[in-house]
Amino acid sequence: MKLADVRAQMSGGILVVSIEGEIDMSNARELGSAIARRLTNEALGAVLDLSNVSYIDSAGIHVVFDLRERLKTRGQALRLVVPAGSPISSMVELVDLPRAVGVVETADEALAAIAAAVPQPNPSHGH
Amino acid sequence: MERTPGDDHTSEPGQPGEGQVFLGAGAAPSVNPRTDQIAHLYQLGDPTLFDLDLDSLLDELLVRVQGILAVDTVAVLLIDERRGVLEACAAKGLEEEVEQGVVIPIRRGFAGRVAAERRPIFIADVNHADIVNPILREKGIRSLLGVPLVVEAGVIGVLHVGTVTPREFTEEDASVLQLAATRAAPAIERVRLFQALEHEHRGAVALQRSLLPERLPELVGMRLAARYLPARDEVGGDWYDLIELGRGRLGIAIGDVVGHGVRAAALMGHLRTGLRAYALDGLSPGAVLERLDRLLQSNRKGGMATAAYGVFDPESGELVLASAGHPPPLILPREGEPFFLERGGSPPLGTMPYAGFPEQSVMLPGEDIVVLYTDGLVEVRGEALEQGLERLVEAVRHADSPDAVCDRALESLVAPGGGGDDLAIVATQSASISERLSMRLPADPTVLADVRLMLRRWLHHLGAGGDDIGAIMLACGEACANAIEHAYSPAIAAFELSGDARGDVVTLAVRDSGKWRSPRGEHRGRGLTIMEATMDDVEVKPTADGTEVVMRRRLRGAE
Repeated sequence: MKLADVRAQMSGGILVVSIEGEIDMSNARELGSAIARRLTNEALGAVLDLSNVSYIDSAGIHVVFDLRERLKTRGQALRLVVPAGSPISSMVELVDLPRAVGVVETADEALAAIAAAVPQPNPSHGH
Repeated sequence: MERTPGDDHTSEPGQPGEGQVFLGAGAAPSVNPRTDQIAHLYQLGDPTLFDLDLDSLLDELLVRVQGILAVDTVAVLLIDERRGVLEACAAKGLEEEVEQGVVIPIRRGFAGRVAAERRPIFIADVNHADIVNPILREKGIRSLLGVPLVVEAGVIGVLHVGTVTPREFTEEDASVLQLAATRAAPAIERVRLFQALEHEHRGAVALQRSLLPERLPELVGMRLAARYLPARDEVGGDWYDLIELGRGRLGIAIGDVVGHGVRAAALMGHLRTGLRAYALDGLSPGAVLERLDRLLQSNRKGGMATAAYGVFDPESGELVLASAGHPPPLILPREGEPFFLERGGSPPLGTMPYAGFPEQSVMLPGEDIVVLYTDGLVEVRGEALEQGLERLVEAVRHADSPDAVCDRALESLVAPGGGGDDLAIVATQSASISERLSMRLPADPTVLADVRLMLRRWLHHLGAGGDDIGAIMLACGEACANAIEHAYSPAIAAFELSGDARGDVVTLAVRDSGKWRSPRGEHRGRGLTIMEATMDDVEVKPTADGTEVVMRRRLRGAE
């Protein structure tokens, strides 16, 4: 039985990865590389949607921090989606994720936050 | 058809063509040593003589014909309807023809014409005739006589004889050959038909086998058993499935496609796959059956099936089940009387547009057994279903495991050698939960999910609330992950997890036989931090051969 499923799609130049299931020491590394594979240099950033994750251990948290580092060096933004009341909320608080990575309630919020953080090309500028 | 000399040296016996003279009925019959032998030919049609074996039937035919007519070659070619050709099936003196799998288009050549024109044909000199099969020439055959093998439905093949020296076949030769063909043809047809049916049956059985689960899933804390019994002489469309749904939840499915044969087996495969796919998408039992119904109704060839699908959550002990016209699931509680889940009266799949499949829910404490089965187990022609259900209850009432349920049901309810209908039975039981938790596990990360599952059940049993369960699972997960990482030789290493509850304080101990390693790297120290944050106290103690982590938490209950 696979512990978790991964779905990924591009939305407005931003990679949205949704994970469903449980993340622990047995699958964290694989999930990390599955996300990394989908992340192109062109992406403005990534949204990691953990709304449907019912368990995450420190190995899973490690993957999130790794992802943050990887994105940072390429100048890409990362937002985490963990709705209030999610089974993993207490873990997310415990390891101080909201301070290290932006944590929001919905994927739309995350997309808007990344789009706002990226400097928009201004067509009227330059002449 | 116009015959020109030297072109087509064929003729019907009794109508001598150029250079061909039939001695005919007027020829001196002399003392006929054939009489006895000809009598033997009648036996060729004896249905008991060549039971189910085409090769020995044909062999017998050829030997007798060769003996009576004193010819060098005898061959049988049978029509392959699918390919529209005559295929060499048996031969004497022309074995190559069979070995090389010679096929001749119907209507062409010598044998092709015998079949197409449904009459005996005689060729006095092969060298001047339209012969498709080169082997006849290579073998030096000079004269040929062929007759059609005819049954009520039409020509099924050709029987022909040949000689390497030129021979004028007589009308009597033709009659003898035709007699052999007439006697043998129905027997050949019967054997071929049987072989085709048997082939279909074997194919369908193989198909059905391939569609049933090869092995049952292994789920911690669950005991599972299932049996499938084919019908005595037909292929049915019964199936069962056990589906791991994650977080320890188990999907239990059973179904029965109405009808028999390859089509039923194929439709069964279709529905089983569909049900599994919808189940893995996390849909509830009612929604799974609704989609399965839609899937079946999208099938242009139609079809009808009954099915039941339930989801069992071992953590809460709840079974949610929906049925589409299927016989009612049987519950064997550890204590108390067996009972059937009420029949909701939902229609079978594929019978009604927009049918709904209401769900029912039942709480099953540890060790209760759920039994799903198909009607082949309980239905007896001319008897009320209730009687069959009663028999089932009596047969399995005292069974204490899923395997025992399946065995006793089959022993008591099924005639030796199988019944007239195929049947499937699947039984599940969740293990009882003891007050004390004790597990010995291999040092492999994949056991962590099992640990969480057992822990959830145990804590649920203790009356822990959601926050308690979440916190203890996190701490225990980290402690177990450490034990797995510490194992110096994962191949043989194991660790132990035990849990105790005194009053409202839960104590968990994780003991390994490795050395506690100080956390390395920026993020590696989190495990201990997490344990300390989620439990009231955490001790890490070195033991003689490893490390023991003991953690306590007072249950806050549902807050």
